[in-house]
Amino acid sequence: MTKTLVLGIGNPILQDDGVGIHVINELRPYLKNLKVKVDIVYTGGMNLLDIIRGYDKVILVDAIKNENCKTGEVKCFTLAEAPTIHSSNPHDISLSEALHLAKQLGETHLPQEIIVIGIVVKNTLDFGEHLTNEVASAIPNAVSMVLAELQNT
Amino acid sequence: MKTITIDPITRLEGHGKISIFLNEAGDVENAYLQIPELRGFEKFSEGRRAEDMPQITSRICGVCPVAHHMAATKALDAAFQVDPPIAAKKLRELLYCGYIIYDHILHFYFLGGPDFVVGPEAPASKRNILGVIEKAGLNVAKDVIKHRAYGQKITAILGGKATHPVSGLPGGVSKGLVKEEVTDIKHMVTSCNTFAKFTLQLFDDIVLKNKAYVDLIRSDPYTLNTYNMGLVDKHNKVNFYDGMIRVTDQEANEVEKFEGKDYTKHIAEKVEEWSYMKFPYLKSIGWNGLQDGKKSGIYRVGPLGRLNAADGMATPQAEKEYKRMFDTLGGKPVNSTLAFHWARLIELLYATERAKELIEEPEITSTHVRNPVGTPGAGIGVVEAARGTLIHDYKLDKNGLVEKANLIVATTNNAGAITMSVRDAAKGVIHKGNVNEGLLNKVEMAFRAYDPCFGCATHTLPGGMPLIVNIYDHKKNLSKTISRN
Repeated sequence: MTKTLVLGIGNPILQDDGVGIHVINELRPYLKNLKVKVDIVYTGGMNLLDIIRGYDKVILVDAIKNENCKTGEVKCFTLAEAPTIHSSNPHDISLSEALHLAKQLGETHLPQEIIVIGIVVKNTLDFGEHLTNEVASAIPNAVSMVLAELQNT
Repeated sequence: MKTITIDPITRLEGHGKISIFLNEAGDVENAYLQIPELRGFEKFSEGRRAEDMPQITSRICGVCPVAHHMAATKALDAAFQVDPPIAAKKLRELLYCGYIIYDHILHFYFLGGPDFVVGPEAPASKRNILGVIEKAGLNVAKDVIKHRAYGQKITAILGGKATHPVSGLPGGVSKGLVKEEVTDIKHMVTSCNTFAKFTLQLFDDIVLKNKAYVDLIRSDPYTLNTYNMGLVDKHNKVNFYDGMIRVTDQEANEVEKFEGKDYTKHIAEKVEEWSYMKFPYLKSIGWNGLQDGKKSGIYRVGPLGRLNAADGMATPQAEKEYKRMFDTLGGKPVNSTLAFHWARLIELLYATERAKELIEEPEITSTHVRNPVGTPGAGIGVVEAARGTLIHDYKLDKNGLVEKANLIVATTNNAGAITMSVRDAAKGVIHKGNVNEGLLNKVEMAFRAYDPCFGCATHTLPGGMPLIVNIYDHKKNLSKTISRN
């Protein structure tokens, strides 16, 4: 059976940065009867690698910044296609690099598939526990995209 | 005036931007590093319960959660007028050693080291951890991963949680150590100590035995004669967790030594309108613009700042290495920015030795790990974050809620020095409007040495730090763009 992890990433005190955590909180009731592990973290790079090791499939829910997209848009892509805010941790190496490194070192328990549900955010520089309206209204969309992705599993 | 902007456009967090201003002759007049600063922390903290501050502040930045957690916890000790039991202080310091171990290992092998291990002239695609593995071998890489994880595990055992510790409370810690954990930690720190010695040997073999590297370390563009600052113990040895803040001058003489609680008497912050950053300086010397020398109050913190500001290391192996560094680089103080890397490894060795000492202490398994708190007031906590002196300053109301909070973080303490180092590195490679190919590397190396906590200090896999340089003519029209990728 596929071992799946749904992981929300974000900083809970930097407004939109924490959107991944908000999405997971909304998701939890829907996932009660599914055999998937659900978690939230505020970290990146090597630490993320430690967390996702051992799963077959990982769905990351994180904030993304992209000037060509509208705030609140939700994108579904693979990790290789684009980094999210936290999978490219400023002080660490990025999650893609960490995975590459782990493969080189002969690590075998790495996820076969890493899907990203990325929410385009606006404000990640002002402290605050609330999302901006545009980003908050994207949560239902992100929730259904995670659920759809789980049905593909 | 011509303007060159180095802007890391493809990193999505979008931190950091370097603007280089040329004069009419086409030489560098000034260069500024701008970091988008997180805003509104003071307001965010207002009215919060004081005991939540160690958890809240550990989330300020993904880079040094442990340092913020500890500075906040110490500020609360002071604010609640309580001195933690000796066992609690030792447990906190041990936790802190774990943090220094993983943070310094990460910086050397993943971020700063590639410049040296793979080489400053190597293509950007090689100057990353994978390039380091290629050069040093797979076994070294496995050891890097293993010992970084040990540092993390030590902080997780003592902090109660990986990455973001939760153990710090005013008056002590929430959990002690049991025997099995002591055995586990002993094994890990012993292994880390061996690895730290190996890493210094690697630095010796690859960097110090290569004359070109040593010349680069000692070269003018990478030299800055500022004051130095760091926490010291009662024998003036480097200490990460506690002590007095000591400042030394360009001849390594002590100019100031003060308690963290008195920082506002000694440190002021200059605000420059072109930057989000505040530039701290020594009040007794004064602000004299972005320049080094005796008349400028700018100081450096972090590994090299700490080693310069102290009289030595408190553990024998690190002390030996400390002396060797200063002997090799021409005595104290060492003002070569790239020597930060060497200093960082000496500190790594110290952290492993200190952790070994602490875990052997009989009190380390004591269950008396917290003292009752007094009435709330104001408190200041200071620690040495991996990248320099970190100050938390809180004022609480009578119900223990935060009235006011002010932080000075390590990268802010280094802001003036980092800005000057970037400028000097750019001066070395831009002449009469001609921008040398090595501009990006040289500028990156200058600020990466400080291990600043923002996005553009990292290497990325496909081609080094994604940078773009825009060169404008004196009418501010874009005349040339250089991009790494």
